[in-house]
Amino acid sequence: MNGVCQKCARRDWLLAKLGSRLDREIERHDQSRFWSVLELPDLELIDAISRRRRAELHTAYAEWQPTPSCSGEQPQQALCRHHAAYPRSLREDALSPHSFELRGGVERLRCLLEDKVVAIVGMRRASDYGMQVARELARGLTASGITVVSDFAEGIASAALAGALEADGAPLAVMSAGVERCIPAWHAPLYRRVLQSGCSIAESRASARTRRWWPYANARTLALLAQLVIVVEATEEPWELACANVAFSRARHIAAVPGRVSSPGSRGSNWLLMNGARLVREPQDALDVLYGVGICEAPHQSLTALDLQPRLANVLDLVGSGQDTPAKLAASGTCSDEVLVALTELELCGLLARGDGGRYVPARQF
Amino acid sequence: MLARARTFTLEGLNARAVSVEIDIRPGLPAFTIVGLADAAVREARDRVHAALLNSGFQFPARRITANLAPADVPKMGPGFDLALACGILAASGQIPSDLLDTHALFGELSLDGEVRACHGTLAVAEATKKAGLAMLVLGTPRAHEATLVEGLSLGVVECLTSAARILSGGVGDRLPEPSRTQASTLRNGPDLSDVRGQDEAVRTLLVAAAGAHNSLLSGPPGTGKTMLAGRLPSILPPLERSEAIEVMRIHSATGKLTGSELLTERPFRAPHHSITTAGLIGGARRGWVGEVVLAHNGVLFLDELSEFARPTLEALRQPLEDGRVSIVRARHSAVYPARFMLIAATNPCPCGYAGERERCACREVDLARHRRRLSGPLLDRIDLLVRVERTAADHLADEPSLSSARAREQVIEARQRQAKRLRADGVLVNAQMDASMLRRHLKLDRRGEQIMACARERGLLSARGQHRALRVARTLADLDGHERVGAEQISRALALRPEVDLSGRRAA
Repeated sequence: MNGVCQKCARRDWLLAKLGSRLDREIERHDQSRFWSVLELPDLELIDAISRRRRAELHTAYAEWQPTPSCSGEQPQQALCRHHAAYPRSLREDALSPHSFELRGGVERLRCLLEDKVVAIVGMRRASDYGMQVARELARGLTASGITVVSDFAEGIASAALAGALEADGAPLAVMSAGVERCIPAWHAPLYRRVLQSGCSIAESRASARTRRWWPYANARTLALLAQLVIVVEATEEPWELACANVAFSRARHIAAVPGRVSSPGSRGSNWLLMNGARLVREPQDALDVLYGVGICEAPHQSLTALDLQPRLANVLDLVGSGQDTPAKLAASGTCSDEVLVALTELELCGLLARGDGGRYVPARQF
Repeated sequence: MLARARTFTLEGLNARAVSVEIDIRPGLPAFTIVGLADAAVREARDRVHAALLNSGFQFPARRITANLAPADVPKMGPGFDLALACGILAASGQIPSDLLDTHALFGELSLDGEVRACHGTLAVAEATKKAGLAMLVLGTPRAHEATLVEGLSLGVVECLTSAARILSGGVGDRLPEPSRTQASTLRNGPDLSDVRGQDEAVRTLLVAAAGAHNSLLSGPPGTGKTMLAGRLPSILPPLERSEAIEVMRIHSATGKLTGSELLTERPFRAPHHSITTAGLIGGARRGWVGEVVLAHNGVLFLDELSEFARPTLEALRQPLEDGRVSIVRARHSAVYPARFMLIAATNPCPCGYAGERERCACREVDLARHRRRLSGPLLDRIDLLVRVERTAADHLADEPSLSSARAREQVIEARQRQAKRLRADGVLVNAQMDASMLRRHLKLDRRGEQIMACARERGLLSARGQHRALRVARTLADLDGHERVGAEQISRALALRPEVDLSGRRAA
């Protein structure tokens, strides 16, 4: 089934033709200009960014004919703005993609977007702390009936999708190069699990060549789909804050997970917090942002409910404060053998997990 | 005239009896050796010829045929020289042939008639005793190896004339004083007290040494992983006599034995990561043993584990599991002992700083690739993770936490407890306990059972991992001097277990 009208198919063709010009726009100008360019109607878009090829493009645009590939022979579903099943949250915005491919089915997509949607985004080269936080946020939010959406990339995004799946949820993945291509390829098992319960969408690309502006376009789709964007870890690079920028321009909720001030991987999220983003430490904070304080409660197991012994609580606090190896813990004055016993007990309770390099990471169970 | 001498050829690490038959009859002067002899044996013709003449004997100017029986067994090495020369002397009537059939002859000849040592003297001595021969006649340089075989009569000879004297009913030469090279290396080697600020790593290494557990040292570059591993031999207990003879048999057969007295220090092999599978396991050619065999009853240290070729590491699986390596090639096959303690060192990620978020420059895909190189069945056979961390500058001036001598005492004490408990089962250390021995020697209390069950339920342990943790717990109890393994030892063993996924649980 292909739900893309000719007008939207021609838009996809035009964006493919202007791919290199859009790359240049994102490289040479700030993001706000790129977003305004992307909102333009077809002919104005040609006038705005094509230079010497303007007349040629106008002619080609006028003479454009649908090719067999965009007239209903594609294996996956595709929807455009003029299709009844096109998500309402996207339809209302001029910046939204004109069409996208879909895997998982129209009905499932509709169900997913009926709930509140939270986008969890962040850097690809994330730390184990960031991965763990993203995973737990997604797990807790999914358990609270929220749909988690993220781009399908390594790092925070894949951790969020995996966390949502752990809570038996149905996440929504926004793919960068079509719903049939899993990039990065080594995340193929994760993608299969996403498709078993959730959906994936990808902006229709008439170009076979990967473009630099595609991640920005994905970030814009995420921001428009979600009522709340949570940035877990991000540097100050523009592409890592693109989703938050669009959400800010559309007056959506933005939240960020605080990080260490000395870490480059937290500068972006800390900058967002300085500039008005809500602070999120756990799923309950995100629910408070979405529904208001105290309206909805996350189904989590509080540490006090576990009735931890003081020695275990002490070790857990020390691990949380960065003393994440037995050697560091022993250096803080605790007996080495007691440290090892406490670490195992906390791991068996699910309050600690092994992180990078055999370090321990706090892992609360939501 | 016909004479028959007795000697041996090496097959793997064992010696096989070979009968050297010399036939001298009228004809054009010629010296032919038949019986699947290799190049070294064929070249014996010239050595024997010169040695006989330079020792004052006659070389018969007749047709000489030497047959090495059994004819279908390949013969290697220069150890047949002495038997060939004595056979010719007996066949030509220059010495009596009565004792030739009851004395084994083993040695290489120099052109002036000196008898040199050959590889595999210890194996030949053992085979001589097993064959029930009266005496082994061999050169002086390796004669001390043969003295390790109790109840064997030795005829030590410096030259061919001495051998002829023994075969004529006389006595051989005097056994030289043994050279002392073993003890000094242990005393002068690196000491654990050189290590500062790595108390936890030293403690874990002590556990590894006490139970002979396979261990993985993981940590950022420059933190002292190789330094720690290099100090492991200094805390290992000395070889027991039976172990020492096994080690000496291997090193003697491969020509790597330097001293001549009974070994006390365990072998420590540290091949470079460019080593091939044949180099590590053996089998490149007949009689070639790999590093795993040379590390038998000792330590095999693989530095930069992630840089080793994957097939090479995978080949370690059988020796790690069975304690032996079975090499089968088109023309030869052999089984070698290979019960060693594997110590591996690696960085936790390609840049080495995984977990240190400000410094680690690896992407998730880099970590996954690094994980794939290491994870799987090999890591599943490693018992302990030794985390080696960066030491703060002020800790470098600290007092050493443990000296090698003190650590060695603790290790020896723990090993004695293990040996006392396990000797009846035919093993000496906890790492070698199989499932049935674990059941017999390790009774957990209720709390211990609960902890193990919880670890299984949470997916922290596989079936093999469970046994691994129990062996480590047993060693911890031995170090603490406890007869029973308690919940505390189980918990500590679980904390010391290596994560098969070195970089932690990532997203997918």
